[in-house]
Amino acid sequence: MSAAATPSRPRPRTQAEAERAFHDDDPLEKATDWSLLGRLWRYVAPYSLALGVSLVLMPVISELLVAQPRLLRAIVDDGILKNDPGAVHRIAGTLGLLMLVEFAARFAQQYLLQLVGQRSMTDLRREVYAFLHRQRMAFFDRQPIGRLVTRATNDVDAISELFASGAITAVGDVITLARIVVAMLVFSPKLSGLTFLAVPPLLVAVEYFRRQARVAFRAIRSKTARMNAYLNEQVTGIAVVQAYGQEARCQAEFGEINASYRDANLVSIKYDALLYAVVEAFSSVCIATLLFFGARSLGLGAPAASLGVLVAFVQYIQKFFEPLRDLSSKYTVLQSAMAGAERVFSLLDRPEPDAPARPEAADAPDPEAPAVRFEHVDFSYGDGPRTLSDVSFAVPRGKTVALVGATGAGKTTVVSLLQRLYEIERGQIDVDGVNIATMPRESLRERFVVVPQDVVLFPGTVLSNVALGEARPARDRAESVLDAVGLGAMLRRRGLGLDAEVSDRGANFSVGERQLMALARALYRDPKILVLDEATSSMDSESEAVCQAAIAEALARRTAIVIAHRLSTIRRADEILVFHRGAIVERGTHEGLLAAGGVYARLHRLQFSETAV
Amino acid sequence: MSQAATDPAGASPRPQEAPTRAPAPEGASDPVEPSLWALAWPWLAQERRALAVGAGYLALSGLAAGFIPQAIRVASNALGAGDAGRAMRASLAVAGLAAVGAWVRVASRIKLFNVGREVEFDLRAKMLANLHTLGPSFYQRMSPGEIMSRATNDLAQVRLLIGFGILNLFNTLFAYLVNIPLMVSRSPKLAVLSLLPFPVFLAITRRFGKAMFARSKEAQESLGALSDIAQRALGAMRVVRAYNLEGAELQRFSDAADKALEANLALARLRGLMFPILGAGAAVASLVVIWVGSGMIIAREGFSVGDILAFQVHLGLVAWPTIALGYMLSIVQRGKVSMARVQALLDARPDIDDALALPVDAASLRGALSVRGLRFAVDGRALLDGVSFELPAGRSLAVVGKTGAGKSVLVKLLARMLQTPAGAVFLDGHDVTRLPLATLRGTVGMAQQEPFLFSSTVARNVAFGALDPDAPEVKEAIARCLGEAQMTDEIKRMPDGEYTIVGERGVQLSGGQKQRVALARALMTSPKVLVLDDPLSAVDARTEAGILDAIDRAAAGRTLLLVTHRVAAARRCDEIVVLDEGRVVDRGTHDALVARGGLYARLAERQALEAELEAL
Repeated sequence: MSAAATPSRPRPRTQAEAERAFHDDDPLEKATDWSLLGRLWRYVAPYSLALGVSLVLMPVISELLVAQPRLLRAIVDDGILKNDPGAVHRIAGTLGLLMLVEFAARFAQQYLLQLVGQRSMTDLRREVYAFLHRQRMAFFDRQPIGRLVTRATNDVDAISELFASGAITAVGDVITLARIVVAMLVFSPKLSGLTFLAVPPLLVAVEYFRRQARVAFRAIRSKTARMNAYLNEQVTGIAVVQAYGQEARCQAEFGEINASYRDANLVSIKYDALLYAVVEAFSSVCIATLLFFGARSLGLGAPAASLGVLVAFVQYIQKFFEPLRDLSSKYTVLQSAMAGAERVFSLLDRPEPDAPARPEAADAPDPEAPAVRFEHVDFSYGDGPRTLSDVSFAVPRGKTVALVGATGAGKTTVVSLLQRLYEIERGQIDVDGVNIATMPRESLRERFVVVPQDVVLFPGTVLSNVALGEARPARDRAESVLDAVGLGAMLRRRGLGLDAEVSDRGANFSVGERQLMALARALYRDPKILVLDEATSSMDSESEAVCQAAIAEALARRTAIVIAHRLSTIRRADEILVFHRGAIVERGTHEGLLAAGGVYARLHRLQFSETAV
Repeated sequence: MSQAATDPAGASPRPQEAPTRAPAPEGASDPVEPSLWALAWPWLAQERRALAVGAGYLALSGLAAGFIPQAIRVASNALGAGDAGRAMRASLAVAGLAAVGAWVRVASRIKLFNVGREVEFDLRAKMLANLHTLGPSFYQRMSPGEIMSRATNDLAQVRLLIGFGILNLFNTLFAYLVNIPLMVSRSPKLAVLSLLPFPVFLAITRRFGKAMFARSKEAQESLGALSDIAQRALGAMRVVRAYNLEGAELQRFSDAADKALEANLALARLRGLMFPILGAGAAVASLVVIWVGSGMIIAREGFSVGDILAFQVHLGLVAWPTIALGYMLSIVQRGKVSMARVQALLDARPDIDDALALPVDAASLRGALSVRGLRFAVDGRALLDGVSFELPAGRSLAVVGKTGAGKSVLVKLLARMLQTPAGAVFLDGHDVTRLPLATLRGTVGMAQQEPFLFSSTVARNVAFGALDPDAPEVKEAIARCLGEAQMTDEIKRMPDGEYTIVGERGVQLSGGQKQRVALARALMTSPKVLVLDDPLSAVDARTEAGILDAIDRAAAGRTLLLVTHRVAAARRCDEIVVLDEGRVVDRGTHDALVARGGLYARLAERQALEAELEAL
């Protein structure tokens, strides 16, 4: 919520103000920033050979380009006007050849550039994604995931447009332009001067229209987003609209957005049309001016240029205006790429590393120490109220400890802290006698397997979900764990096996089946320490009965922490910790706690009544 | 080219062409599919004035452009002949024609592209209007994603076809009609020879247009796949970490990134090839003119250097329209499919409507509900069976039951948010299926369990049924209803108070806050029958008491139907109905039900224990 409000902005006092403040928040594009370009270079550098070849090809292409009108002049002046068919064939043949070479060179130049851009930006993409995986959980609690995904996908894409559009080599276009200017001057300073006179007004006009078109385009972009969001909301929230009879009002509101979208487009159409028309008209007017002055000097008795020169000049003019026209559009691409680069780099610049190890302080694992020990641990999420206060307990090797308590008492937080998904505020957590703050995160996390409350299945097969992350899963092992949790038989009844497809989020399996699959996944890993977080909460009683046997079997041989609603698992635990409002209020065995008649006894009665309802 | 598909004016090759008729459908297998013209005609007819004016401008612009090369020929020949005056006059004509041509060209583009935008505007407005009439059976059949895809991608294709397509159709027509006769008039032989590569052009661009569409779709999809992978892994970060899956996830992402790379490079190759190939084609045509033309000059066949120049410009004037024609052919194919998909949204008819409605005076309704033997089945499975109860006007009734007992379905059937069977639900003696929907829904107000909030402010969501949320009396009512829903303090702490944007579907609010905003929304409308579907499921106990008092106040003077799993809420109602597996299993007052010791009694005991624990 805090992200939505900037302190500098006054609080809106009406709905209209709030809407304005919300929808007009479309920041301007970023101007060129050399330091950003410098950072981009780091990704381009590995492909500098291809980039180099592409750059070298640019002057080659401009030479080929500049040579063509000269040959055209030769055809007219030396061939046609001198009635020399042999010269015409020879020169026209050369011209054709030059054109072919130019097209080949152009293709190679542009493709190499794209190659460099796509490859280097794919590297950047990977880096951004790997960076995200190294951030701590608290980072994800604050940032909408959609925004992070955008950094790795669309923002990087905006940068790669630099290469696709050729904006990155706009400097090369300037060189080509300069080369054409020189060629024209060499050809005829006077005709060139006439042509160049037309350039300043043309540039002013192009820049003006382009700028207007850009403003319109920006409006279109924000209005498109708003319009689609509105429509999407109408479709998903149709029941509310209909229940409140608000169809007419919503259509009127949408009508306004729709109209402002259309109007922004109409503006853009106008300036785009003007932009292209003005460039086209200018080149015709230039040619006309050229002919006019050619004719005037002829009238004055001093032929300014041969007919061939004129013909060649017409060609130059056309080639001259093309890069000029595209320069300013390339600048726009550059701006949006810079904005993308800034967003990407500002993400990379603020790392919040997940569980950084401090190996210098690491103790050697102590085989005698308890498997898990919490000592006076305090914790809160962000600035919120304290979630855990002064929590101390130990899980001896091979023993099962159960955590019970009402929803929100802090049980799941204990599990998160154990995996060091969050950093504690005070106290210490040891695993095998080693402070977890000093352990590399992989070696810490590979000691546990957590079966979470909300099961996450990935698209793939039953096998790939059970043997999660393994390139070469052991089929027989997967079969046996599936059978152990009772899912094997259930799947076979439905005619499914290890290779049965699992759709996104496992939507083609029931909640109970998904939990069994997560349990099988945990058993497949055969971890030193097993953590079950409400692992059987959504199972029907039949699946649970099968599953309980498997759980009992799994717990018998290893260290375990169990959070469960149902009491059958908890009853067998070596110690039960009762959490209430972030603190351990009771501890002991099932019988002892029941006899004490405190919180646990009430929880027990509650759970008993739940199974009855 | 994908850019061209969204922004015709900024398209790189600026194609200007369209076919005169829809091409024969490839593999013409679908006889049901209506023809493109049948679909597009009503929209075109509506804009026929603008179309005629735009076409007129285009004709002028085509004429102006077509005579420029001839003026150049005259000028250059005059130069060669030493006739300065004639050359000057001709060059002035070039400038004049260029200026006029540019002017009418701008006018024609504006006129014709605007037609596309106007049609798009109309289609989109009509689409929403029709979507508003459709009921759940439609929305079960078509997902929001599919609807959005038709409202965005398909609509864009239709707009492209209508604005861009028509402009190019006329433009090609005029370019051919003006330039080809002028070329033929100077030299039929050279005209034929130099135009020979053009059919090849057409074939090439058509192929490229299709391939490029496919490739750019692939590239877009590969980027989408990349997003999906990232979205999924980042959303399941706990599992990724718990299982040390970072390596595997990076590999998965990396593979997808490589696929996207390949798709983009394939597109780059295609783009990189298309323009050189077309350029080579144009060069061949222009070389033919030079070669053959200079031979003709030397052989003194009445041809001049000015003719060569003019031919070059003529060729340029027909080259772009031809390239665009090829590109248009592929647009037409897609546009036709899209048009049909858009039309399907416009043609869908509601299954819940006012067809059987008899007019009734809304003011005469008092709010007595009567449900008699209500049965509702989906795919043969009864979600409700034989449900009956009477709820007299001004009284309150609680519906209690486990998840899946059919409570929410019952609520939806009351206001015909689902297909309510006839003769089962009555409002003041009127069968609800015979009441006009607006009257029914205006009388029965609902707050749903999983409330849908709109991504506007808290205030707008509360005042969802009000026209102007800034009117003083509405602002007052918003504050009052938020207060009743126990939101006042929390709202004050929000960054923008009641004008805080709640985010898409209210993501910025907690589950309990969302429920209470929805409750405030229901209280705002002050309907005769207030239906609250589990308004407290995500609300903590302390807030609950305050809300229950507010519900009591709201119930005064109106009929209240409260669906709840909270005994504390149910006990305040005049009567309680216990639902289980779609049937009424018990009914009575709180005391009677507790005394009877059934499902309800166990629920009451459990909640008493919970309250005890909470108090510790």
